[in-house]
Amino acid sequence: MSTNECVSSDIQEEGLFRGEDMTSSERVSAVLAGKEIDRVPFFPFSLGFSALNVGYPVAAVYSDPEKSYIAQLLTQRMYGYDQDPFLGYAAYGTYEFGGETNFPTGNVIHAPSSIRFPVKSEADVEKLGLPDPEKAGMLPQSLQFSKLQKQRGTGISVVLTGVFTLAVNLCGVEKLCIWLVNEPEIANKLLATAADHILDVVTLWTHSFGPEGLLVQLWEPAAANSVISPRHFERFVLPHQKKLHERILELGVKHILCHICGEQNKNLPYWSQVPMGSPGIVSIGNQVRMADAIQRFGDKCVIAGNLATELVGQATAQEVYDTAKACIEAGRNAPRGFILMTACETPPLTPPYNFYMINKAVRDCMNHL
Amino acid sequence: MDKLREMIINGTNKGIADEVTKLLDQGRDAGSILNKVLIPAMDEVGDLFQKGEYFLPELLVSARAMQNALDVLKPKLAQQGIKGAGRAVVGTVKGDLHDIGKNLLVMSLEGAGFEVVDLGTDVSAEQFVAAVKEHKPIVMGMSALLSTTMYTMKDVVEAIDKAGLHSGVKIMVGGAPLNDDYAKKIGADFYGPDCIAGRDYARSISGGSSSN
Repeated sequence: MSTNECVSSDIQEEGLFRGEDMTSSERVSAVLAGKEIDRVPFFPFSLGFSALNVGYPVAAVYSDPEKSYIAQLLTQRMYGYDQDPFLGYAAYGTYEFGGETNFPTGNVIHAPSSIRFPVKSEADVEKLGLPDPEKAGMLPQSLQFSKLQKQRGTGISVVLTGVFTLAVNLCGVEKLCIWLVNEPEIANKLLATAADHILDVVTLWTHSFGPEGLLVQLWEPAAANSVISPRHFERFVLPHQKKLHERILELGVKHILCHICGEQNKNLPYWSQVPMGSPGIVSIGNQVRMADAIQRFGDKCVIAGNLATELVGQATAQEVYDTAKACIEAGRNAPRGFILMTACETPPLTPPYNFYMINKAVRDCMNHL
Repeated sequence: MDKLREMIINGTNKGIADEVTKLLDQGRDAGSILNKVLIPAMDEVGDLFQKGEYFLPELLVSARAMQNALDVLKPKLAQQGIKGAGRAVVGTVKGDLHDIGKNLLVMSLEGAGFEVVDLGTDVSAEQFVAAVKEHKPIVMGMSALLSTTMYTMKDVVEAIDKAGLHSGVKIMVGGAPLNDDYAKKIGADFYGPDCIAGRDYARSISGGSSSN
């Protein structure tokens, strides 16, 4: 365990980053409002990387809201990128519904993963109740994290999964896939329960922090076409996800950031039917061409993406720089706006110089106001 | 035996054990059922998967049907001394608890007649080495779903090399964050973008050989 741990008194007030004309929060607000910006914002999706950057173990970003917040904020200020601290992980829901999640401990470097699912049978689906969004699993820590977001004046967000990924986290991907074919009603019931829970949590956040400034993040990697067909997506995912988004927006939430991770090309016609807000933010992986995302979502959503995370972690610094610039050039003229974003979480062991080179690429592509 | 073939391709699990039993009772040879029906049927499923017509749900229900059919055949195959395509050792690497990729590879290899030693998830380099020493497979498969755990594959390859075992076993790797360049960089012999590619690679090095 590191002894040089940062504390909240290390946090400086936000100022302008070396020669820029806008703060990060001004820049992101301007993108969402469709106003001019000085440069493309950058969202690096960095949790574990931020922890290691300030001398914390990766485990801290999941187990300790205050340390997670500090690590991310200090790393943001150090590099001058634009994504405010957030708390979430793709294995959300297993623990909240009574299963078991393996959280990293000590110096182990990995994201939380589900190890015992709460749903083992069709009968379990029938009797599955909804957990208390104030008390279940990691939700109390998530609430504490959002209170820090509010206290510090950084963006308030709630990070959950999409309906299919949550359903996977409840019963496992193999079981859910088999149910799609053999027990479609059971699969639908589980997806409906997943949607109800996500709405419960978002509702709690809107009551606690107000809907207007709240960014709802929904991560949906499991519905990628590397798992299910577009036919199954249309039949099972689309109805529940669309209705969920409609209900979230009815609460007064203005922006949903939907992270449609991985190979989702065949799902794009269906994703484009899901309302994301005014505007929404659609985050794509490197498997989806920027031009295709702009065509599908560009009139209604800010496009975020699509810098390959494997490249960020493994390629040379020059390759990272060149690829980041190419992503910026591909996306910067998206009609409702563009945010450079990594395709998924920046690997914790990304060479810091590679990470710096992404930020350099962003600044080398300044707009000329 | 067309009905059995269709049951595999359609993933019809209910009644498949009875169908295999019926064929055996009719005097059909276990080896023929395996080599002329089950394996070709799974090959068709694999082709449909690679063409993008079948996805994981369809692959899984077919593989489940195949496994249940195989469970009926295995004692007969053993009695007849019918050797499989070879032995494989498969596991998900240390720190990674995801098993879907590994499980699909196991099913695909078993569907192709391989005997598979499944080490499970969170498998250390030492455990891979011990398994290769004990089971003497012709191929070893490693799976990683996370960009944070794929780095441990290099440790495994190095451990296999250091133990002097690499000359006897081919190492294949797979998983969402991997690619061919990475496999070459760490000294693996093959990168498979999906379980069918892994199965085909294992077949290519099997060439009718069998593990001791």
